[in-house]
Amino acid sequence: MASFIERVCLHLLLVLSVSQSITQAVDRSNFKTCEQSAFCSRQRSLKPGQSSYRALLDTLELSNSRLTLQLLNNNNKVRLLLELYRLQGNMTRVKINELKPIKPRYEVPDVLITDPPTEPMSVMAQDEHGVVLSLGGENRRLFVNAQPFRLDIMEGPKVLLTMNSRGLLAFEHLRIRKDTISHKITSTVGSMWDKIKNVFSSSKDQTDTEEDGKTEDMEKNNEDEASDGAEEKKEKEADQPGMWEETFKSHSDSKPNGPSSISLDFSLPGVEHVYGLPEHADSLRLRNTDGGDPYRLYNLDVFQYELSNPMALYGAVPVLISHNTRRTMGLFWLNAAETWVDVSYGQGSDEASQTNVRWMSESGIIDVFIMMGPQPADVFTQYASLTGTQSFPPLSTLAYHQSRWNYNDQEDVSTVDQGFDEHDIPYDFIWLDIEHTDGKRYFTWDKNNFPQPKEMLQNLMNKRRKMVTIVDPHIKVDSSYKIHNEIRSRGYYVKNKDGGDYEGWCWPGNAGYPDFTNPEMRSWWASMFAYDQYEGSMKNLYTWNDMNEPSVFNGPEVTMHKDALHGQWEHRDVHNIYGLYVQMATAEGLMQRSGGMERPFVLARAFFAGSQRYGAVWTGDNAAEWGHLKASIPMCLSLGLVGISFCGADVGGFFKTPSAELLVRWYQAGAYQPFFRAHAHMDTPRREPWLFGPDNTALIREAIRQRYTLLPYWYQQFYHAHRTGQPVMRPLWVEYPEEIATFSIDDEYLIGRDLLVHPVTDEGSTGLMAYLPGNGEVWYDVHTFQRHDGAQNLHIGVTMSTIPVFQRGGSIICRKNRVRRSSSCMENDPYTLYVALDPLGNAEGELYIDDGHTFKYETDKQFIHRRLSFTSNTLSSSDLSPDTSFPTVSWVEKVVILGAQKPSAVTLTSDGRETSVEFEFDPDTAVLTLRKPDVKAAVNWTLQLH
Amino acid sequence: MHCHIVITVVFWSICVDSQKIRGISLSYKRFYRERQSFLCIDGSKLMSFDHVNDDYCDCSDGSDEPGTAACPNGRFYCTNLGYRPHYIPSSRVNDGICDCCDASDEDNNSHTPCRNTCRNLGQRERADVQSQMRTLDEGLRLKQQIIQESVLIWQEKQAQLLDLQRVADDLQTQLDNLRQQEAKKNEEVEKLREAELEARETAENNQNRTKSPLNIFQELDSNRDGSITLDEVQAKLIPIPDEGRGLSEDEAVVLLGGAHQVDLSRFEETLWTSLKMGDRVMIKERLRGVPSSVAEDDTYIKAAMSAAEKVAADMKKVEDSYETVYMEIRDLREKLATDYGEHREFLLLHNQCFQLKVNEYIYELCPFNQVTQTGTSGAEMSLGKWGSWTGTPENRYCQMKYEGGEPCWQGPSRNTVVRLICGTETALRSVKEPSKCQYVMELQTPVACQQAQRKQGVHSEL
Repeated sequence: MASFIERVCLHLLLVLSVSQSITQAVDRSNFKTCEQSAFCSRQRSLKPGQSSYRALLDTLELSNSRLTLQLLNNNNKVRLLLELYRLQGNMTRVKINELKPIKPRYEVPDVLITDPPTEPMSVMAQDEHGVVLSLGGENRRLFVNAQPFRLDIMEGPKVLLTMNSRGLLAFEHLRIRKDTISHKITSTVGSMWDKIKNVFSSSKDQTDTEEDGKTEDMEKNNEDEASDGAEEKKEKEADQPGMWEETFKSHSDSKPNGPSSISLDFSLPGVEHVYGLPEHADSLRLRNTDGGDPYRLYNLDVFQYELSNPMALYGAVPVLISHNTRRTMGLFWLNAAETWVDVSYGQGSDEASQTNVRWMSESGIIDVFIMMGPQPADVFTQYASLTGTQSFPPLSTLAYHQSRWNYNDQEDVSTVDQGFDEHDIPYDFIWLDIEHTDGKRYFTWDKNNFPQPKEMLQNLMNKRRKMVTIVDPHIKVDSSYKIHNEIRSRGYYVKNKDGGDYEGWCWPGNAGYPDFTNPEMRSWWASMFAYDQYEGSMKNLYTWNDMNEPSVFNGPEVTMHKDALHGQWEHRDVHNIYGLYVQMATAEGLMQRSGGMERPFVLARAFFAGSQRYGAVWTGDNAAEWGHLKASIPMCLSLGLVGISFCGADVGGFFKTPSAELLVRWYQAGAYQPFFRAHAHMDTPRREPWLFGPDNTALIREAIRQRYTLLPYWYQQFYHAHRTGQPVMRPLWVEYPEEIATFSIDDEYLIGRDLLVHPVTDEGSTGLMAYLPGNGEVWYDVHTFQRHDGAQNLHIGVTMSTIPVFQRGGSIICRKNRVRRSSSCMENDPYTLYVALDPLGNAEGELYIDDGHTFKYETDKQFIHRRLSFTSNTLSSSDLSPDTSFPTVSWVEKVVILGAQKPSAVTLTSDGRETSVEFEFDPDTAVLTLRKPDVKAAVNWTLQLH
Repeated sequence: MHCHIVITVVFWSICVDSQKIRGISLSYKRFYRERQSFLCIDGSKLMSFDHVNDDYCDCSDGSDEPGTAACPNGRFYCTNLGYRPHYIPSSRVNDGICDCCDASDEDNNSHTPCRNTCRNLGQRERADVQSQMRTLDEGLRLKQQIIQESVLIWQEKQAQLLDLQRVADDLQTQLDNLRQQEAKKNEEVEKLREAELEARETAENNQNRTKSPLNIFQELDSNRDGSITLDEVQAKLIPIPDEGRGLSEDEAVVLLGGAHQVDLSRFEETLWTSLKMGDRVMIKERLRGVPSSVAEDDTYIKAAMSAAEKVAADMKKVEDSYETVYMEIRDLREKLATDYGEHREFLLLHNQCFQLKVNEYIYELCPFNQVTQTGTSGAEMSLGKWGSWTGTPENRYCQMKYEGGEPCWQGPSRNTVVRLICGTETALRSVKEPSKCQYVMELQTPVACQQAQRKQGVHSEL
């Protein structure tokens, strides 16, 4: 209410800068197509054919674990340096850079957690046509073909992957812009255009001029004497505008370094399914991009994004996963510049299926990791060994989050908090969006509406609840704002191309953008989260980094100008990693404020490879539409495949107003996705769970309660993800890699290995088909305990209360069935074990317990990790981690065995004592319930069915 | 004395506690009386009594665990001696948060030790209730006055309406008269005009030998003395074909048959014949053409017209008065048709406005009229116009709705819900915007005080 004027301004801003109209979908004209992106257009006009590169075998050098080799461009004689590494864990790294660049090219730092450990390679054979290297293992070899240059990775007789098989390696070398026409033309192809240009423009003010055919021809004739036909063709391609300057809409990109793009193609024989490359609002299996635009990776604030579209969104992880029944592999293209990826499903030379993938980036070097699996889990392990695993979130952050743009004031917060108690709905976090600040000055509070933030936080703490406030990485330019003054005086802002502080428009109006690529800046930023710096903060206050693409309302494509400067690097080089650095610095701040004791929680919108180490992400500004509810599944699955497990979508949809049915369905779906937060746009009516009549309130309550009962399972999954890099939310094919029927499924998924979820995402649904995988396996409906066979399509009748979830036969899942106001209130509560027997009568599972919020699990070995196993009618709990401990009063209150037979007696053995346990058996459902074994969760015990 | 009571209470509660089932009210005690076995209250299951409050949920209705958190649908009874007893969901038992003021929901081995705060709460509540009751009493008293005043005002307004209607009737009568007069006058003017036109036609006919001698005679007899003189002839007639010059006296005498003046009969024999022949003289006007306005020249018509104008002006005046009165009547009727509550107690709020400044905005509520917001720039924005009462079925007069205010960007029109709360004075107490462009105001007023609130107050008195 306080900010009508501001809002009007804000809306004006939006209208002016994002050029949104009242139309409901994205304004595509704000964002580049490949054709409009000069380098993509240049690269893509290069058609498959024989590569102009050849490997100079006489330059080959092999140290123990590193092979180097020069590549020569036959056309322009520029030499590249190829580096090959055999990495531990069945990976190969291929780096290609200019042999002698005139200035360094950007190599992405801070993504790899270590310099990846290598393993020895040896030359198996060599002749003038190529080299064969041994990669160890099961007859794994790498062929280097000299002319044309090509790399084949083989296992036995099979080619797993070929690089440059279609000759699309293209490396635009850095060059100096020539000033005069009289300059003697050398082999530099790309400099042609400059020279021509410079004839017509002063060296000071160079602009793209229209091609002047005459001059060009003249120049070319001179050149042609020394070149063959192929080169001439190449020149024509190179002589395109956009190499030294590019304009898009009203924005111009000066390119002082000239053309610098890179491209390389990969062929995957026998592959028909590739995945990954988030973030796109598209199907899980990547689509063929022939005839359309490539998938684009360029972190952008896209207003009202469209579905089923390869357009870039808020985050980028340049990782692609290929899968067939025999092998899963991954390609990690470590480059932070604007990147486009073409995917083409087709046939190889032998008419077998083959998938071709082509990567194109605007700058930097080629640095690609080939993760050779062979199992899906191996690829995840391999990728995690490079970029790290999912941060282990505080337990409470896996619970339910209530957000809205905006909760208006302290009283509003208090009323909503009470509303949850009045309606007996649990929640852990309430969120404050940008309006809570003093004029969008982050780290401050609106004096009128939030005069006593600590009092508010204390009230939440009294209910063992928490809060998140937004801290965006654009800083209001205002000399009375401490944060701004500090950043300016320390020189921490990103600079524009002329060296002044870069400024752009965002929520606060004119804003500066801290250079998060600078470690000093990050360290200073982190210090701002100290309790004495961020006034009004307390330990139950966590952080949300929005707009970290970065979003610049009046910038090209609503982001930063590519010629802005981050120290010596252009924004062009670092764009996609900027958001990661923001989240990294913020997470560091939350850690530091507790002296390194407490685990941080930071939600970010933009991300990059490695962002999993710093917190959670969400799918940005979606809409209250059924299509967006559906899209949330493949979007989060794609992120999970590339390491980012802590993913969610705004429950209810951000833009627009959901019907009660859509809202209920979204809660039901969101309750089974990793990050579970309801959020809404300011222009939409209130939608707290109790505002849609008692029936809908009850449905939403039930969905949220189901989430809370499963928190031990979620927490254990995240512990597992943190330790191993396996995704929490998984496509079915990850666990059933040989079942082709699962390869394209993206309307259902697994949580861990043991829960299969098929949310209802259709309006008015009365039934749906779910595929239950696993020949010879069984699945149990978690609500009715009804047993179903695997490897079948199952029709499920649907009412408004139906959330189709199945537990895998052979698994044991721990729940806490005493749902309370917040997850913290449940910490000491007892567990109920759901033992779902496989057809052989076996099952196993795990239980992980720690304090839920500190690093003591790591630093002090304070946790309990137990293995639960049911075999030969005996359920036992044994210690998976005998050298750790954690004091917990939690106990086992109930054991529910699904698919059981009636025993005559049940005895518990614990601590050397044997006691009898009461039980109930329901012959209709074959469910055996053991009443109150009453054993501590932390000790060894055995339950014997007689 | 005071101490004594406290000690007794403590002692008593210890005695009771030793055999008490945790978490039940006295009225439920009977279900837990038998100490051998326990039947779930819904009758679904019989079990050994040691299953009661053993921290395991056996009954589907949760009745075996009134004192623990074991049952998802259970409830715990806070006795809250000294304050108000109430139930809490079982999930709030032993969750580390003190819910019952007597601290009975927490085992107190948790990290938040709970204290018994019922006495303080009870005192505060009693004080609050008393103060509320005082407010309510005062509010109801004021409301009574307001109702009486409203009755008077209502009657006044009714009387006013009657008066106005009378005035309106009068005006109507006047108007009717004037309309008749006007009609008459207009008729006269019309008649004269017709006559004149006829005359002119006659003259024309004359020219065409169709006009009667009388008409021409009259036309020529300028001074209407019943005879035509030489002067009149010279003035009106011109010779043919020499129209340029006047008619000489001699010529005139010839035309009049040698006489200096003629009456109608002589005229017919003399001049009329010449005119009929049309070859020696003609009437001047015929040559000059038809005069622009018959009426202008005609004093009869002039007089008649000015009389008609006067009547019209009078009528306009009366009409204006009638219009004013009619509007007043309409307003008054509208006002009287508005639902001012059971006893028309809200009548007094009509025509009043209430303001409240919230941060940089001034909000103004004019009940039964509109709600506005004024920013620092001074620009006023409508947050809605009077719509309807939207209270509860029990009391529809506890909430008003104002709708159709300024439209929102990309959204519907602004609207405002006004909640009425009982107080001793009438004032705007709060303004909120829980969703964008949807405002909620609280208007405090004695009129909102209800007898029913007394009962609630009494019930909550301990």
